[in-house]
Amino acid sequence: MNFVYSVTVLALTVAGLAIVFGLLRVMNMAHGEFVALGAYSALIIQQSDLPFVLAVPLAIALCATLGWLIEWTIIRHLYSRPFDTLLATWGLAIVMREGIEAAFGREFKSVDQVLPGTVDLHVFDYPAYRLVLIAVTVLMLGILLGWFKRSNAGARIKAMVENPGLAEAAGIDTEGLARKTFVVGVSITGVAGVLLAPLVRVEPYMGFDYLLSSFFVLVVGGLGTLEGVLIGSAVIGGTDAAISTIFDKTAGYLGVLLLSILFLWLRPHGIYSRQ
Amino acid sequence: MAYIRASSCAAAFALLFVPIIWDSFTAYQLGRYLLYGMVAQGIALCWGRTGFLPLGQALFFGLGAYVTGAVLRMDPGWGLILLAFLGSILLPSVLAGLVGILVFSRQIGSGPYFSLITLALSMLGLQLANSEEWLTGGFNGMTGIPGLPGVDSYEHLFFVIVATLLATTLLLEFLSRTPFGHLLEAIRENEERLQYFGFRTGVLKAAAFGISGGLAGLAGALYAPHQGIVTPQAVGFLLSAELVVWTAVGGRFGLIGPVAGAVAIGFLSSGLRDAFQYWELVVGIAFIVAVLRFPGGIGGFCAGIASRIVRGSPAVRRRRDHRVRKRQDPGHPDLVYRNVNASSGPVEILRDLSFEINRAGTHCIIGPNGAGKTSLINVLTGKLAVSSGSVSWKGRVIGATEPYRAARHGIGRKSQVPSIFATMGVGQNLAVALWANRLDLRDMLSSAPHLWTSGMFEELLSRFPFLHDESASAGVLSVGQRQMLDFAMTMLAEPELVLLDEPCAGLSSAETEKMIDAIAEISARSGSTFLIIEHDMRLVERLSDNVLVVHQGGLLASGTMAEIRENPNVRKVYSGAGNA
Amino acid sequence: MSGKSTRVREMPDGPLLAVRRLAGGYGDILVVSEMTLSLEPGRTVCITGRNGVGKTTFVRLATGSLTPSSGTVEFLSRTITEVPSNRRRNIGIGYAPQENVVFDGLTVRENLTLHHDDRSLDRYRDLFDRFPRIPDRLQQRAGTLSGGEKKILSFCRVLAEDTSVVFLDEPTEGVQPENISLMAESIAAAKSRGRAFVIVELNLGFVEQIADEAILMENGGCSHRTSNRTTMRAELSSLLRI
Repeated sequence: MNFVYSVTVLALTVAGLAIVFGLLRVMNMAHGEFVALGAYSALIIQQSDLPFVLAVPLAIALCATLGWLIEWTIIRHLYSRPFDTLLATWGLAIVMREGIEAAFGREFKSVDQVLPGTVDLHVFDYPAYRLVLIAVTVLMLGILLGWFKRSNAGARIKAMVENPGLAEAAGIDTEGLARKTFVVGVSITGVAGVLLAPLVRVEPYMGFDYLLSSFFVLVVGGLGTLEGVLIGSAVIGGTDAAISTIFDKTAGYLGVLLLSILFLWLRPHGIYSRQ
Repeated sequence: MAYIRASSCAAAFALLFVPIIWDSFTAYQLGRYLLYGMVAQGIALCWGRTGFLPLGQALFFGLGAYVTGAVLRMDPGWGLILLAFLGSILLPSVLAGLVGILVFSRQIGSGPYFSLITLALSMLGLQLANSEEWLTGGFNGMTGIPGLPGVDSYEHLFFVIVATLLATTLLLEFLSRTPFGHLLEAIRENEERLQYFGFRTGVLKAAAFGISGGLAGLAGALYAPHQGIVTPQAVGFLLSAELVVWTAVGGRFGLIGPVAGAVAIGFLSSGLRDAFQYWELVVGIAFIVAVLRFPGGIGGFCAGIASRIVRGSPAVRRRRDHRVRKRQDPGHPDLVYRNVNASSGPVEILRDLSFEINRAGTHCIIGPNGAGKTSLINVLTGKLAVSSGSVSWKGRVIGATEPYRAARHGIGRKSQVPSIFATMGVGQNLAVALWANRLDLRDMLSSAPHLWTSGMFEELLSRFPFLHDESASAGVLSVGQRQMLDFAMTMLAEPELVLLDEPCAGLSSAETEKMIDAIAEISARSGSTFLIIEHDMRLVERLSDNVLVVHQGGLLASGTMAEIRENPNVRKVYSGAGNA
Repeated sequence: MSGKSTRVREMPDGPLLAVRRLAGGYGDILVVSEMTLSLEPGRTVCITGRNGVGKTTFVRLATGSLTPSSGTVEFLSRTITEVPSNRRRNIGIGYAPQENVVFDGLTVRENLTLHHDDRSLDRYRDLFDRFPRIPDRLQQRAGTLSGGEKKILSFCRVLAEDTSVVFLDEPTEGVQPENISLMAESIAAAKSRGRAFVIVELNLGFVEQIADEAILMENGGCSHRTSNRTTMRAELSSLLRI
């Protein structure tokens, strides 16, 4: 169950990047900062004594607005220069981090547990919030996948990324589609931040770990498919858990790093990829 | 280039007065930024000059710092200290070179995966530095590192740093003028083309990365006594990323820009951080603007202004008549395709293609569009893998190898779309081609190859007079001129098997005449074998004594033009496309 | 051809499409200079010429996938030079490019449906009858098709659209001769319903079959123009010397 949980958490944080990087091929180095933005939305809601659920629309509103602005000012100039997206979004990450620090201060904050207590699962008790988290993640990924399968959105995005000229000729408004995709991706990331907020320390620099682990999951799993996200999450989460249990937390982290380096070097398209 | 030498000497001289004019604390701070600048120079070498971005350069910096720090803590004599310095340079350099060889030999091109690998390596370094306390002092760092014996770390070490930085700047400036430096630039412009000249670009890139690693290690070695403490942050990702930011803002194409970037942002941050708390915000925005609008950074901006003021291009060097050695005499040409099959994905492109060419001279390949003509050439140069059957040239089986190997077997190719080094001068383009298969390690680091010339070189120059303007940028040439430059480059390497893919595409009729004359006369004299893809039957007739007709991936017919015209199969295929 | 897919919105008195003194290229390099062309409903203009003379560049300029440096493109008497290429399909101009003609990473079905909201294949019925290889391979990735099959797939996508002008850039490249005649049939059927074509083509036999007017390009401009269908092929092949 703990394994399922840690894979879920990974998949949750990766989902947004899977869209932005996996489909749109924007190496969004500010991915973690959007997670942080979501977590801080949860903090704002809790501090103003509003129901926790409201953090979700707030995070979506914040991330979507910001994402829209960023796409319009920065990213849209860089689709043909994928390398520069990495650099520009790195700059963006600095700016967002500093912005968060300016608004909320540098110190650790904590978001109170919203669903304390455990649920009796017959075999063992399990923290209620974790169950909710798993359920919401599965639901969210399900909706996302359903939407992609049902509408042409997935095919159109892939078409646009593969061959923007032909997509234009086929009548697809690539500019608008790219912007929408980016906004959806970062909004999902924001929601992930909300869900994680009660479980982690909330601080301006919290995003960095999510950024790295998300990239590693995508590199190991493969870009462009949900299967890739799940396989990647399982492999990365599994490696971490296994090595951490046998040795210690540091060894687990080292294992993940080594595994990722091997994949980047030998199989940059990952385990499961349409390429 | 000379102005870099002069200005860096002048800047170094001016820096010497800093401790006198300002206080020693300023000198101390400046020393640290100059060390970062040294690392940034290495990043600029990789990123600006060669085109691949290392994202984990702090790993090498920290490694150098830890090595020297550990040795210094033993209170050793100067001998051991110098040895430690050497180790601090060599260890990171070898490590970087090794990573470079392993990564670059697997893929042509400079994609983001290399950058992510270096980033992950730097994370790995950070983790190890944090956890291996016995070696590094762990999270709190390696403390109590004494200064260099007799060198006060606040003042005198500053002079050592300035001197070292001057030395590395001059060294890098020297490297940029050698063939090695030009080849790095050519990699950035068009790595595949360079491979077709027989250069192992992966090794060259690894060498550049190795040099940058050594440079970072050297900076780290000075950092240890300068700071007295080395913490895991020195290998960490944040420093790595900051180094990239400084390089980008300062200017990644030059040598002074990266140092200026590190110093300027360093000072501004330390000065403004107290006054304006969110100073990093400004740095972040400056970085984004640099990426979006000013890829050359401040340095590139200044260089642009300077060139507008100075005007005029560097004088063209007279090439001394320093004949390059003639390559081995061509033996019997013997190109054999035996039942060659090749496919791209599941699509069969070549189907059971068999033919032999047993004499020098010009051979033309014709066939309808999509027949597999270019693919036929691609299997010779390693661009397309043979799935069954074999291709051999002079008895040696070729196929499924890296492109540079084809060039080493004496095969040269010119693609249909002109493939040149666009930001480099015409002269540089020609020089790189002239060096193909002729440059050894010593030449790579000497300036003599710039003066090389050859009979072919002079002939091409007289055939295509526009090539005389060697300082003209190749990127501003017309389509026709690019085609001719590309052809000239292919011929300069004097390959024994010349592959030309529609050499007259995009040429005006006058230019076509010139090109056809050049091909006909050169091929008649050179004793090489020419294989030319051409659509225009009129040109085929003038060029060739042997025509191969390719259709649907296989050989349909071969023979003289007259024979081909009479061949019923050919007539059938071409019945749609005019009278062959 | 199903009736639905060939409805032409208006029947103008003047030309459907008028390209006037169009020029442009890549960066500073001018590839096409001063090309002029006019297209009536139900007519086909073929552009031919040697490799590298600017045929594809002209089509890219005329369809908006490259921005012209000067000149205008008018459609139904309205200047559309500035209209982004993705909107031209909706106002009635289709375009099948010369290279990278399909989305290799998508399935054949996705290639045919991604630009339609309903995702039905009804509009392709007539074309599927002519080219049965395509419906046989709906679930396959388009990247697994041969060059000629990709060209046919791209041809089907553009022909089934509800557009009154169609640009085709070398539609027969790598296509089997029997399929080339089927393409000619499809074009003829569409022409009879008032659709007009601009086709870049090197295969003079195909040009002879379908063209009402032929333009020979050289050095980025028009060097010869003919509307005489009986002498067209001889004229062009003597000028091209093939």
